[in-house]
Amino acid sequence: MPALTEKHRQRYDRQFRLGDIGEAGQRKLLGSSVLVIGLGGLGCPAAIYLTAAGVGRIVINDFDTVELSNLTRQIGYGTEQVRQSKVDSMRDHLLHLNPDANVESVGHVMEADELQRRVAEADVVVDCTDNFSTRFAINAACLAAGTPWVSAAAIRFEAQLTTYHPRDAQSPCYRCLYPEGTEAAESCLAEGVLGPLVGTAGCVQAIETLKLLLGIGRSLVGRLLLFDAMQMSWHEIRLKRDPGCPACGDSPQAATS
Amino acid sequence: MARITFTGNVQPHVPCPTETIPGDSVADALGTYFEHHPLARGYVLDDQGAVRRHMVILVDGIPIRDRARLSDALARDSEVFVFQALSGG
Ligand SMILES: [Zn+2]
Repeated sequence: MPALTEKHRQRYDRQFRLGDIGEAGQRKLLGSSVLVIGLGGLGCPAAIYLTAAGVGRIVINDFDTVELSNLTRQIGYGTEQVRQSKVDSMRDHLLHLNPDANVESVGHVMEADELQRRVAEADVVVDCTDNFSTRFAINAACLAAGTPWVSAAAIRFEAQLTTYHPRDAQSPCYRCLYPEGTEAAESCLAEGVLGPLVGTAGCVQAIETLKLLLGIGRSLVGRLLLFDAMQMSWHEIRLKRDPGCPACGDSPQAATS
Repeated sequence: MARITFTGNVQPHVPCPTETIPGDSVADALGTYFEHHPLARGYVLDDQGAVRRHMVILVDGIPIRDRARLSDALARDSEVFVFQALSGG
């Protein structure tokens, strides 16, 4: 774990004061590595808070460019970044925020072997994508590498969040919950999404990621959190690992199907 | 017997209050539920009676296996949750 400088002590003072973090926790964060996949309404606040908190290495991934219609929720970008690459804009933003951070940007869609390598290098993966097929790929890579991942999705006034932890025998995986072939009925493009709603979900992802990195608190493993902003209510559904799951199940036959 | 709950993101479209309903299988219990709330059926099931591809039905925390006929068994106090899988980010 890296030693702390006087600058670190000043910058992270309010985190130091949290008994569950302290100096040892801050050094742990500075020595940690996180992979944030997707830099939209979830990924912007998640990457920003994780960088601000002093996570030492942040790998950010998105192939897209900023559009004017992103700016209601994608708070890492300004009007002058429209049509620029999201990863480049976000990298500038993060380094401006915290020059200590080691930020690597990946501006293309990762093929399976690159995804596998980067997931294995990360302590936690933050899933801020907007589609099921990428989540199935993240699930497979995280299961193979044993890397925990914090997943969220949102539309309109609703968000869903959970954590999958392949090294926790009780943890379901994404494939336990969603069969291959799951399709979105609706998209934010067609249905719309409220900026602070998706931002709240991204902030919860950042909190959950920090807890996992620090090894503190109760994680969201085995719980699907549903946030309904219209009712301003949180609801929790218990999830179990499915022993018959084709991705993480007990039987070798199931595991290969 | 099962307590059937539809999560918030289904309810704006169709009325589907939480109800406790007898039944040995998901098909039994949901069949009765949809008699009480006919509009909910088409939101969850397609015209063949199979679960739509964006819907998830959990029985005691695990998704049902038989998405075509919903033959998964219910215990005496099973909790059935019906929700829509979201993907946006
Ligand atoms: Zn699984």
